[in-house]
Amino acid sequence: MGLRDVLFGKKKLAGPAQERLFALTTAAVTLDTELGLRTAGSAGICFKPLSAGDFVRAENDLQQLLDGIAADSGSKLERREDKFGYTWIVVRDAQLEDQVATIHAVAQGLEEQGFGPQLLAAVFKFEGGKHPVYWIYGYKRGAFWPFVPTGQDQERDNAEELELKAKLEPELPVEQDLSRWFGVFDSPL
Amino acid sequence: MKRRSYGRDAGLSLRMLLTTSLLGLLYVVFAVVLFQVLNVGLIPMLVIVVGLAFFQYYTSDKLALRASGAKIVERDEAPELHDMIERLCAMADLPKPRVAIIDTDMPNAFATGRSPKHAAVAVTRGLWQRLEPQEIEGVLAHELSHVANRDVLVMTIASFFATLAGLLTRFGLYSGMFGGGRSRDNNSVPVWLIVLLVSVVTYFLSQILILAISRYREFAADRGSALITGAPEHLMSALQKISSDMFRIPQRDLREVEGMNAFFIIPANVKGSISSLFMTHPPLEKRLAALAEIAREMGRPVQ
Repeated sequence: MGLRDVLFGKKKLAGPAQERLFALTTAAVTLDTELGLRTAGSAGICFKPLSAGDFVRAENDLQQLLDGIAADSGSKLERREDKFGYTWIVVRDAQLEDQVATIHAVAQGLEEQGFGPQLLAAVFKFEGGKHPVYWIYGYKRGAFWPFVPTGQDQERDNAEELELKAKLEPELPVEQDLSRWFGVFDSPL
Repeated sequence: MKRRSYGRDAGLSLRMLLTTSLLGLLYVVFAVVLFQVLNVGLIPMLVIVVGLAFFQYYTSDKLALRASGAKIVERDEAPELHDMIERLCAMADLPKPRVAIIDTDMPNAFATGRSPKHAAVAVTRGLWQRLEPQEIEGVLAHELSHVANRDVLVMTIASFFATLAGLLTRFGLYSGMFGGGRSRDNNSVPVWLIVLLVSVVTYFLSQILILAISRYREFAADRGSALITGAPEHLMSALQKISSDMFRIPQRDLREVEGMNAFFIIPANVKGSISSLFMTHPPLEKRLAALAEIAREMGRPVQ
């Protein structure tokens, strides 16, 4: 935000930081060999849909986009709404590389349609530990953070999360401000 | 009201006395220089200064609660918290303060109010949810000791001249920039520059001394907590938990927070106010060491 924008009170929503998403594919090796975590075969991207006016046009474009990506990638795509009013595109694919590529394609398509600033997060699910492990990629921050819900209410395994941070930090852009590690409970993954 | 002091520590009292008198000396020097150079009328100056101090003193509780976003809760909203505070007040022979909750994940607490009768104790939601009941008692007893020791009064008096010096610094700057025509007819150093320099030096020195006093009051409140609860080890574990990394990780859902904060433009927590609370506190290791010492005096088990 420039000085002029500050003076005139023109806040702009930050555009999405997309490029660092691919770091997860390299980190997958460490996750597997050192922690025994493998992809659970699903990932998702979450964004706030537009309201009212552009809705019908955006709706048609979105469906076209998803059909196109599904045909190209061979991933299975599902659309879900959640109780917070966010739209999820859930990607089902056995390979993590393909999940990342498909999520990236969806994010790019959404950005081209003008949804860029509405992109919230991409979530990747892993299994193999005591609890399922999620890596959340925040588009506003351009960084990943771990999320390990214990399954009871809104409880998280913070010790496990900090261990994941320590192990993965060399290869993954991990969010350094721990107070921004918000969870995504009951995701449709 | 009967004065009570929680525990005695001769060294601590001596250091407090020393810093406070240094602070007093500093203010006298400051005032003398100011009047010699600036020729401000004594009466208007005193009126402004005393008025400001009273304003700060009488509004301290409201200001602190407002600034931290704390909400006063009645008994039916948080019965267990009210029960706990009532028990501790009975132990400490204090009137029950107002009880407030701050809606933050990070565990923290503070006490405010110019006297025990006008006091308020605020805890964060994170403190209530993440700590064990005995640890919460330790933290609350620490805050109630601040109330019993009248720390708001002490700190208001201590920071009073620092505030004044800060104001004059700004005033000196503006008058130098916009109205500095008075001293052009001679070659001496402009008056506003002297005022500015004196104010800056006073401000920094008094801040250092205030921080020192504040740290001593923290040690005193830790000791008070140990005596009220009779179990310093719980406050020790609470302090360790509060300062650990783990407790910085939020418990809330990303989407919920996004909805409240309009897409991360405003940070989702009150980090600034929390870290500033900690700045005036002694380092954790020193507090733990002091508490362990008290625990040994009391014959409590220490790990």
